[in-house]
Amino acid sequence: MISGLTPLAVTSVTTSVALTVSMGLVLVAMIVWLARVEDIRSYVPASDIGGGAGQTEYGHEEKPGGITRWLTTVDHKDIGVLYGVYSVITLAWGGLSVLIMRTELLDPPATLIQSTTYNALLTSHGITLLFLFGTPILAAFANYFVPLLIGADDMAFPRINSIAFWLLPPGALLIWAGFFIPGIAPSQTSWTMYTPLSIQQPSPAVDLMLLGLHLTGVSATMGAINFIATIFTERAEEVDWANLDIFSWTVLTQSGLILFSFPLLGSALVMLLLDRNFGTTFFTVGGGGPLLWQNLFWFFGHPEVYIIVLPPMGLISIILPKFSGRKLFGFKFVVYSTLAIGVLSFGVWAHHMFATGMDPRLRASFMAVTLAIAVPSAVKTFNWMTTMWNGRLRLTAPMLFCIGFVSLFIIGGVTGVFLASIPVDLVLTDTYYVVGHFHFILMAILTAVFAGVYYWFPLYTGKWYQRGLAKWHFWLFMIGSNLTFFAMILLGYAGMPRRYATYNVDIGPVAQFTDLHQVATLGAYLIGLSGIIFLWNIVQSWLEGPPVQSSDPWELAEDGLLTNEWQWFDHQRETAITDGGAESEETDTDTDDNSEETA
Amino acid sequence: MNRVKQLLLGLGFAVIGMSIVALPVAAAGYDSTTEALIQSLNLKLLYVAVPITILVEGILIYTVWRFRNNDDPKPTKENRRLEITWTVATAIILLFVGVASYQVLALPAVTATPQVTDSEQANATEVTVVGQQFLWTFKYPEENVTSRGTLVLPANRTVYLNITSRDVIHSVHIPELGLKQDAVPGQYNLLRTTPTSQGTYQLYCAEYCGVGHSQMTATVKVVSYDEYQQWLEDQKQSQ
Repeated sequence: MISGLTPLAVTSVTTSVALTVSMGLVLVAMIVWLARVEDIRSYVPASDIGGGAGQTEYGHEEKPGGITRWLTTVDHKDIGVLYGVYSVITLAWGGLSVLIMRTELLDPPATLIQSTTYNALLTSHGITLLFLFGTPILAAFANYFVPLLIGADDMAFPRINSIAFWLLPPGALLIWAGFFIPGIAPSQTSWTMYTPLSIQQPSPAVDLMLLGLHLTGVSATMGAINFIATIFTERAEEVDWANLDIFSWTVLTQSGLILFSFPLLGSALVMLLLDRNFGTTFFTVGGGGPLLWQNLFWFFGHPEVYIIVLPPMGLISIILPKFSGRKLFGFKFVVYSTLAIGVLSFGVWAHHMFATGMDPRLRASFMAVTLAIAVPSAVKTFNWMTTMWNGRLRLTAPMLFCIGFVSLFIIGGVTGVFLASIPVDLVLTDTYYVVGHFHFILMAILTAVFAGVYYWFPLYTGKWYQRGLAKWHFWLFMIGSNLTFFAMILLGYAGMPRRYATYNVDIGPVAQFTDLHQVATLGAYLIGLSGIIFLWNIVQSWLEGPPVQSSDPWELAEDGLLTNEWQWFDHQRETAITDGGAESEETDTDTDDNSEETA
Repeated sequence: MNRVKQLLLGLGFAVIGMSIVALPVAAAGYDSTTEALIQSLNLKLLYVAVPITILVEGILIYTVWRFRNNDDPKPTKENRRLEITWTVATAIILLFVGVASYQVLALPAVTATPQVTDSEQANATEVTVVGQQFLWTFKYPEENVTSRGTLVLPANRTVYLNITSRDVIHSVHIPELGLKQDAVPGQYNLLRTTPTSQGTYQLYCAEYCGVGHSQMTATVKVVSYDEYQQWLEDQKQSQ
């Protein structure tokens, strides 16, 4: 028994340990059960391409079939698919949680759910989408495509790659534990976990959440080390620094940011756990002080923003030129601006703390760096637009989402400049304006993800998605996003604070709040609907879509824009096709598969 | 090329004209010196930001409309001058934002410093604001008066708010007076302002503080100096 430990602390530690152990047992039981189950519908690929070219008689020698393959794989493409499937599940929960919240906010008082439930949902929404969706979905793309783009056989450390993924599902279960373990309240710390509130909350769900976050942090760090090693050492002979593709550049920069920020978050989380359970004083008033947490958290937290925005920028930089019929304009400047953002992102964290009473001289310097980081972001935007200028735009689903990205990113960026200005920030911080601003950026990130999913869909499934549904997905998503988050910008100007379960105030402009919240909720439903359409499209097309008939499904060769991953795809198809006679039909099927999409 | 330039120029002017009409001309109706300073800065930034946003989004949409199904794409050529031009242009705009913000930031009504002269102190009202879950307490140390849930301030006099918390972090947020400052346990944060119009305003807690966060509101009454003195007397009677 450690001296100075209160009985309460002991019980909470023992419950935490008991919960963790039982969680582990549940996981093992699930794996055993899954391994015993037969007839799970899973595709056995021909060679190691994602199910694209049908069955062959020698596809089974390389990998075991069924569920065993997925539990034991160390292939970067399979791990990419695992990351992707996992991210879709977490995205669904993140979206569902916010739809419940937005329904509650249709009227001022608490009618649908209690404040405690609302606070639990807002905590889960933020943490799920940033840690369990944002970072993993980018790892999905990076895992699948970086080795293909740089001509590597696989990642530098395939097994570490596998471990990095398998840390995530237990992490998610720990983070969500409060929702499904009876008898403990879900964590209500908000995703920023500000002390002393996060120390004060008695529920063991908070401890479990911190442990889960720790796992996701370890996972992200492992992945980052792997990507850095891969991009430095595994490149093919003909790929040097001068012609390394833009997506790999952004992943490399992102990995650098992860390497410097996630371990710091891990340390801060451990300190918080110690404060909660062992009576240390890292973040208490007598000890390090409550603001120490904010400094440590945002020193991780702001780079995190760029961790989840840089690879999407890379996706846009690689996809947008393909459908503009010309190469990316100012490639060098896009790379430089990526590196500039990477460096500057570590010098802006205190702009989240302008109202905390920090030294005014320090504040001014953080304002300066925050304004400076807007320059490279704007430069990228201009480069994308100039790439389209004088091009031949084909408004396919990936292209539409690229354009959507640029338009949302412009609004997100401009609203951010207002928050960089300290006096304006003092009025707007902690209001819905901030929520609106960063969701414009996050929605831009989502559009880039969708662009990537649609662009490479033929490559990793060998099938075509349904283009009509993709269009519906795009328009509903864009209209919904603009409605929701523009309403939030206006709510912020009206003074509505964020993280409010109710807004039945007696003097404030309740009628205006109500109207704007209803608009935001309508937009959220549209986004939700677009998500359902997306999910249906992806799943149904993967199972039953028309097979791709060409190894250049987007007809990139005629513009001279065919990149490595499609050459790999071509090679895969050649080895998979046993009968060379199928090639002659290509031209007919191409015209209906991949005709120009006109609005 | 010339036609494109003309078109862009026309588009630009149209946008600026539209936004000047569309922007709220809310130059009047500020309720405190702080709000006047911050909101006029905000308006200044809006006058720059809204036209630029509409212009850039307009160019984006125009580009898509103009070059979709364009049959002869031109190959990309490096254009270092163009790159440097827009980098510098962006930097200049942001420099303007920085300088304009800094000028406002340095004023005591935005960034309060502990009062320096005795004459200021003699006429100023001092209030200690204490946040706790889920309630605001306002103490008038010179008058020995404590009020819960209602902050009464005299109009047209300098007010100092010393803000702290008893448990977790809260934040004083009075949007109509342009005031926001976190209430952090173990430290006092200072706000200084002069309310200029009488009225009743909403005070919110803006820092997430637990289950009662959205109910942690208070009333701010700005009244004439006589009324304020009267109110203090009444409070002393009842306490």
